[in-house]
Amino acid sequence: MEGQVISLLMSNVESIPGKTVVNSLGLVTGSTVRAKHIGKDIFAGLKNIVGGELKAYTELLNESRNEALQRMMMDAHARGANGIVNVRFATSNVAAGASELFCYGTAVVVE
Amino acid sequence: MSALVSILVYSIIGIAVSLVFPFTSWALGRWYQDSIMSTLREEEKVIVNTYGFDNKASVTTSNKMSQVGAEYSTLLHVSLCVGPSMGQIFFMWVKSIFGGRLHSYDVVLDYGRREALLRLRKQAAQFGCTSLINIRIETSVISFAKTDKSKQASVEFLAFATGIR
Repeated sequence: MEGQVISLLMSNVESIPGKTVVNSLGLVTGSTVRAKHIGKDIFAGLKNIVGGELKAYTELLNESRNEALQRMMMDAHARGANGIVNVRFATSNVAAGASELFCYGTAVVVE
Repeated sequence: MSALVSILVYSIIGIAVSLVFPFTSWALGRWYQDSIMSTLREEEKVIVNTYGFDNKASVTTSNKMSQVGAEYSTLLHVSLCVGPSMGQIFFMWVKSIFGGRLHSYDVVLDYGRREALLRLRKQAAQFGCTSLINIRIETSVISFAKTDKSKQASVEFLAFATGIR
């Protein structure tokens, strides 16, 4: 399953607009913990001289969040779902230099 | 007497030199953030004029009323990491002795939120969505830096919504 890209219908409302939910398959989750390598850390430190957006971190967070979503979709796919509703995101600092990105939702079958 | 004078002179030079970097960083940061803020304002106007995303088309509610007539929906998410400049952090530390409004953080946080929403709208436009429902904006402090010193320097904004058309 690893490396395979799955695409499911997702939404953060109670249903998938335009479709009807026929079956609920329970909670699905996906998470990832990431840290940046020290080189990019130094560059981000240099960017801190002027402030504003820290692109290295934005990029890292985006790709990690996509990975978390992918894991959640794999979880849902394994249960035979074709959609996930009420998707939520959570971010937490697990250690200095690392962040956990977590997402969860309800796997459903839609028509 | 001359020893006293030289101590005084050296201490003044020392203070002046140590203030050069924070002040430069503060001034550069102020200039840079003003420029990105004006770019942001321009882009906000453009996206509203082009795609018609006004406040009516993007709501934070998730009721059935807002989903009427939808044929397609997709989850959209955008995250953005911003931080004030080192000089601003230094002067904020000075300012926090007296308390009051911390202007530098105001500007940076406002910029981050608006930029995240703007990117969300751009992404929605790419997918051909005509409106956004159930918009959520989350803020979290992240510390990727290995030292604790810059811990409060970066804030992450996550904006997510369901785009429908």
